[in-house]
Amino acid sequence: MAFKSISTVVARCLSSLERSLGLDRSVPQANLRLVADGLAGALAIGLVATTPVAAQEKPSSLGLGVFTFTSGPAAAYGMPGKNAADLMIDEINAKGGIEGVPVKATYVDEAQGAQGVIAEYRRLAGDAQNQVMIAALSSATCLALAPLAEQLEVPTVGWNCDTHQLLIDGKSKYVFRPNGNTVPEFIAYAIYLLERKPDVKTVAIINPDYAFGHDAAKIFTAALKALKPDVEIVAELYPKLGSPNYQTEISRLTTAHPDVVFSNFWGADLENFVRQATPRGLFTSSQVVLALGETVLQRVPLPDGVIVGVLGDGWWMSPDAKVNQETVKFAEAYKARFGEYPVFPAIKMANTLIYVKAAYKAAMQKNGGKWPSRADLADAMKGSTVATLTGTVRTRADNDGLVDQIVGVTVKTPTQQFPVIGDMVRYKGDSLMPQGGQDPLAWISTLKPEFSKSLPKPGSYK
Amino acid sequence: MRTIVTAVAVLILAVLPVAAPWLQFVLTLAIAKGFAALGVAVLLRAGLISIGHAMFFAASAYGVAFLARAGVNDLGLLLIFSVLTAALVGAIAGLFLIRYRAIFFAMLNLAVSMVFYALCAKLYGVTGGTDGMPVPIPAVFGIMLGEPLFKTVLFYLSLVLMLLVGLAVQRYLNSPLGHALSAVHSNEIRLEYLGIPVWAVLLIAYVVSAALAGLGGAIAGFAIGRVVPDFAFWTASGHLVLIAVLGGIGGVPGAFIGALFLELLHSAAVTVTDAWNLIVGLTLIVVIMFLPQGFYGLFSRKEASSL
Repeated sequence: MAFKSISTVVARCLSSLERSLGLDRSVPQANLRLVADGLAGALAIGLVATTPVAAQEKPSSLGLGVFTFTSGPAAAYGMPGKNAADLMIDEINAKGGIEGVPVKATYVDEAQGAQGVIAEYRRLAGDAQNQVMIAALSSATCLALAPLAEQLEVPTVGWNCDTHQLLIDGKSKYVFRPNGNTVPEFIAYAIYLLERKPDVKTVAIINPDYAFGHDAAKIFTAALKALKPDVEIVAELYPKLGSPNYQTEISRLTTAHPDVVFSNFWGADLENFVRQATPRGLFTSSQVVLALGETVLQRVPLPDGVIVGVLGDGWWMSPDAKVNQETVKFAEAYKARFGEYPVFPAIKMANTLIYVKAAYKAAMQKNGGKWPSRADLADAMKGSTVATLTGTVRTRADNDGLVDQIVGVTVKTPTQQFPVIGDMVRYKGDSLMPQGGQDPLAWISTLKPEFSKSLPKPGSYK
Repeated sequence: MRTIVTAVAVLILAVLPVAAPWLQFVLTLAIAKGFAALGVAVLLRAGLISIGHAMFFAASAYGVAFLARAGVNDLGLLLIFSVLTAALVGAIAGLFLIRYRAIFFAMLNLAVSMVFYALCAKLYGVTGGTDGMPVPIPAVFGIMLGEPLFKTVLFYLSLVLMLLVGLAVQRYLNSPLGHALSAVHSNEIRLEYLGIPVWAVLLIAYVVSAALAGLGGAIAGFAIGRVVPDFAFWTASGHLVLIAVLGGIGGVPGAFIGALFLELLHSAAVTVTDAWNLIVGLTLIVVIMFLPQGFYGLFSRKEASSL
C-alpha cells in the first residue's frame, strides 16, 4: 500500500533526523515524535489523495461532495437535505448506481464557516474520483465556493443557493443552480398575494437578519410597489437569526395592524414565531405570508388561510407529484425512514441528485459510452432539461435554473393530520425570471400592474 | 539547536503542499491565524486577555476588500494598507481599552469587537451583510497570476513573513519594551515608579498586536477569497485565544504551532464525523490538561534543562 510505505519512509526520515540532532528520548520528545508522525501521516494521505484516476475508464465508485448544514440551528433546513441525499443515493445504488457505478457521498458540514468549507472543498476536489460537488445550502457558502469551482474546474451544483447574486455575471462555466432563486421565489408571493387580496394597503415584513432576509424583503417590496404602487410598507423588522423570543416584534406587528405580514423565517425561528404569534391573534388580524411555511406544516398547527409555498415546485403533494410514481415512492420511503414526509429542502436535494444523474447519462451518450470527465459533465449540464420528482428543471445559458413556483394557502384535509396547501397556483419558471445578465431589481421595477393578468390564477393548479 | 529545529519545521511546511495540494490552503490559513494568535500572545505577556482580536483580523480583511473595490490591485500595497488599517483601528480602540485590566479588559474587547461584527453584518449596502464581500486576486509586482499560482505565491509569502515577522516580534519581546510587558503583569506600580509609562508600553503592545492580527486577516482574506462578518464574531476571537494558549505564550513559535495543530486537527476531524466539534474539544481538553504550558512548553522545557 502506497499509504503505509510512504508514511513509514517519512517517519523514518524524521526520526533519523531527530537522532542526528541528538534529541534524547525524554517524554517531551516522545510528544514531538507524535507531532512528526502526524505530519508524516498527513503527507502520506495527501500523496494518496492526489494519485490520478484514469478519466475515461469507469471507476469502481463515484464520489460526490455534498455540502449542507448537519450541525447548528441551520441543520433544521440542512438535515432534510442530507436525509434526502442518503435515501436517494441508497435508491440509486440499489439500482446499480449511476450508469453502473455506485455512488459514495462525502458530507461536509457548512456550520464550520467559509474557511472550513473551502478547505474541505479543496480536499475533495483534489481526489479525481469526486467528480461533482453538490454545494451548497447557504448563499454565503455558495458565493465563497463559486470562484473556487471555476478555478479548480469542478462541476458544482447548488442544491439550494437562493441568492440571485450567484450567477449574475453570466460567466459561470462550472457552477450550476438547477433551482429557483430569490427573484422568482419572492415575486411569486407578491403576485399571489395581490390576486388573492387585491385591496392590500399596508404590509409589514419580518425576516431574519442576514442576506437572505434582506434580499427577500427588497425583492418582495419592489414587486409589490411595481404591481400595486399604492402599497405601503408599515414595518420592516429583522430579528437576529436564531432568536428564541419574538414577543417584542409581535407587539410591533400587532400595533402596526397591517393588512399583510410577510416573513421568510425558516427552521426553528419559524416554529417559534408561529407558536408565539398564534395566541396573540396575529394570524386572525392580518393575512400572514410565510414563504417557507411548508417546512413546518407537519410540526406546528398553522391556522387555515396562511399563504405558504415551497420556493420552487418541490411540494411532495402537488398534483404533478401525486401522479409521479417515483415521487410517491420517495415520499413514503422518506416517511418510513425519517418519520416525516419530505419537506421542500429534501425535495430540492433529491431533484438535484436526479439532475446530476441525468448529466452523467447525457454526457455518456454524447461521447459514446465512455466515462465522462468533469468538463464533459459540465457540458452536459449546460442547457439541459431534466424531469425531476416534482416537475422540470431547465438550465439557461447562464447556468441558472428555471423551475416553476408553487404558492397556495393552508387548508385542512381529511387525509392528513396536518394542514396541506390548497388553492394552489403554479407559475411557469421563466415567466418570473429576468433575462440572463439583466439586473433583477431593475427588471422588477419595470413590471406593470397588468403583468399578472397573463399569469395563472390562484386555485388554477389542481 | 533551536535554529535547526525551526529550519526543519519550516522546510517540512514548505514541502507539505507539494505532496498534498489541498493542504496548501489549510496551512496558509493556519499561518494567518498564527499571526493573529501571536498578537493575542503579545498581550497575554502583560496578563491581558483580549477576547476581541478577531475584530482586527476582520478589519484588515475588510480593508483589503474595500481597497480592492476602490481599485488598488497590488498584493504588496494591499497587505501594507490593510495592516495599517488594523493598526489604526488598534490605536483607536487601544487608547481607551488599555486603561482596563483583567476581566474588564477582556469583556470590553469583546464588546467592541461585537459592535464591529454587528456593523459588518448590518450595513448591508456597504459590506454586503452576511454574504460578505469578494476579495479578488491581486497582481504581484504588476504581474497578474492565475489562481493556483497566486495561492502558491501567497503560501510561500506567508511562510517567509512568518519567519521575518516572527524574528521581529522576538526581538521586540526581548527588548526593554517587551520585558516591560511581563513587568506590567507582575507589578505595574513598580514599573511606574521606575519611570516607565505603562500606558505607552501597553499602547505600543496593543497596536503591535492589532497589526499582527491584521496581517493574519489580510492573508486569510486573500486565501479564502471572500470576507464575511463571521471573521469578527466572538467565537473567532475565542479561537485565537485558544490557539495562543494551546501553542504556549513562552515564545513566538508557540502561536504558529498552536494554529497549525488546530487547523490540521480540524481538517482531520471533519473528514471522520459530523461530530467534529466533539473531537476537537476532547483533544483540546487533553492537551490543556497534560501540557499546561502549551506545545511550546515541550521545547522550552528542554532548553531550560540543558542549562
